[in-house]
Amino acid sequence: MIGKRFTGTLAVLAAVATAGSALAQDKVALIMSDIGSANPFWAAVSQGAVDKGAELGVDVAAVGPPGGETDVAGQIALIEDQIAKGVKGIAIAPADTAAVIPALEQARARGVAVIFVDKRADMPGTYIGTNNIPAATLGAQHICDNVPAGSDVAILQGIITSTTGQHRAQGAREGLEACGLNIVAEQPADWDTAKAVSVTENILTANPNLAAVFASNDNMALGVVEAVRNARKLDDIFIVGFDGNPNAAEAILAGDLEASVAQRPYNMGQMGVEYALKLAAGETIPEEIDTGAILVTPENAADFK
Amino acid sequence: MTVSEDTMQDELETPAARRMRLVEKYGVFAVVILMMVILSALEPDIFPTTQNLTNVLRQIAMNALLALGLYIVIMTAGIDLSVGSIMALATMLLAMVDTGGLPWPLVLLIGPLVGIACGAVNGLGLTVLRLPHPFIMTLGTLYSIRGITNLVSGGRPVSGVSPEVRFLGSGEIPLPFLGEYASFPVSAIVILVCYGGVAYFINKVSLGRHIVAVGGNPQAARVSGINVDRVLLIVYCLSGFFAGMAALMMAGRTGAGFPNAGIGAELDAIAAVIIGGASFFGGRGSVLGVFAGVLVMGLLRNGLNLMDVSAFWQQTMIGMIVVGAVYVDVLRRRAGAAS
Repeated sequence: MIGKRFTGTLAVLAAVATAGSALAQDKVALIMSDIGSANPFWAAVSQGAVDKGAELGVDVAAVGPPGGETDVAGQIALIEDQIAKGVKGIAIAPADTAAVIPALEQARARGVAVIFVDKRADMPGTYIGTNNIPAATLGAQHICDNVPAGSDVAILQGIITSTTGQHRAQGAREGLEACGLNIVAEQPADWDTAKAVSVTENILTANPNLAAVFASNDNMALGVVEAVRNARKLDDIFIVGFDGNPNAAEAILAGDLEASVAQRPYNMGQMGVEYALKLAAGETIPEEIDTGAILVTPENAADFK
Repeated sequence: MTVSEDTMQDELETPAARRMRLVEKYGVFAVVILMMVILSALEPDIFPTTQNLTNVLRQIAMNALLALGLYIVIMTAGIDLSVGSIMALATMLLAMVDTGGLPWPLVLLIGPLVGIACGAVNGLGLTVLRLPHPFIMTLGTLYSIRGITNLVSGGRPVSGVSPEVRFLGSGEIPLPFLGEYASFPVSAIVILVCYGGVAYFINKVSLGRHIVAVGGNPQAARVSGINVDRVLLIVYCLSGFFAGMAALMMAGRTGAGFPNAGIGAELDAIAAVIIGGASFFGGRGSVLGVFAGVLVMGLLRNGLNLMDVSAFWQQTMIGMIVVGAVYVDVLRRRAGAAS
């Protein structure tokens, strides 16, 4: 008796579920390396992917490993589960460059299109993310537009053995040279605020007429602000950072920092879905797709807080 | 316990106590079956497929082995917080020696040996240094062994583990009669063998029964001539051994050693043991229960993944299930005390 009623309930549940999946659309998965809502960057990537899915009429699952950035096993399980769900494409930011390879190879073996967003694994495939060279040049041009030609300027580099550090330094140098500014110092401060303070103090001592500094990330830019403030030159020196972090946005609103170059995570999510679908449909897509960069200035800094 | 004592206890038991004992013994299996029924109803096209069900087996392999080691530790009223770090170190070292050219049969031994060595450090810290609680010793090794993993690897992953070494963790036995991609994971057979082995060891081997005795009442065990320190040392070596086996699963699944392997994995393993009905105060719990606990967590993650439910819900629900499982234990004790 109870058994019968139970089976009946099950049948109804099953019928409802089947009716739901009868409207099945193409499915695409965005697999992030962190939980979407745990971090504003991934929240924006996730939103971009979902919005693109709604626009194109595909079902987008934007998911991240339950253990956060270090949960590689969780991300592998997500890949397997999305394959089982029958997705056409996977856009992924790998939690580890090596460990996810077998699972992604399995996906490709079963005809699922795989592309990389923000970070790539050590395997072939299209990469969608920020090209740091033009992004840094964008920041350099903002300096050009705001200080007189021929002024002394400095570049603070990140860890210079990393590709990101090299590309940002290169883009900044190219931009500053192109408009005829005089680069008096190019020094690494290893992405670190405290190191940036010391490096900037030394640069200021050697170059009293310094007019502007490009720092390759916001942590260093805030270090530059401290050193310049201590030297009582905050009003004379034009400082641009990189990342568009919330604390940098506050420094921009406070007038300490002039600008920061921000990546465009929303674009990454949108393009991730768009190009995964294109690849799944058999189109040829480029090896690298630049999602572009945007300047954070006092006009729009409130959006980045 | 003799048969007559058993009958006596049954006669003394109130109906409430008996109900709670049944809930405790079989409740977790009911939860497993209920979850499978619900997931089959919610995702009828995906959940009950061969591919997805074998995915669940692939995904629980690591936690199943870590939980098995922790089950033995928790039986002695102890705890081992270092298993995630031990697994990371073992994965990293075996990936390094494998890519360095060591023959694969020796590489296969590296994982478990590293595990046993780390476990011995925990056991010796506990019994020789007389640290007040295994929480302290294994908290220390949780940090130190993770640090050593980063030191030996420079914080970088090592990929390119050979197919022979990966076989236990990623080998597949094709099941062509069940569909094009259907296959049964070798890792599930490893789990079966390990769980069978531990069940036999705990119930049939005298050392295994000493472990249960030490957990139930260490003072009584000591008086009855059991070398408690030796038992504890072996227990932590076993926990390390299973972390080393989990390392083989991890290296198989990922084809790599990577420094962030198994961060927080000790908590998943402890949760599985507790959900499976083992008592945190030692002496009580079954191997089958632990397996059911592992399945509950695996099914929950798989099901929520399939439904694209936020990872936050996974954490929230696992937490509630842990508390619920222990509350059942509390109710059982209260019902027992009332009789």
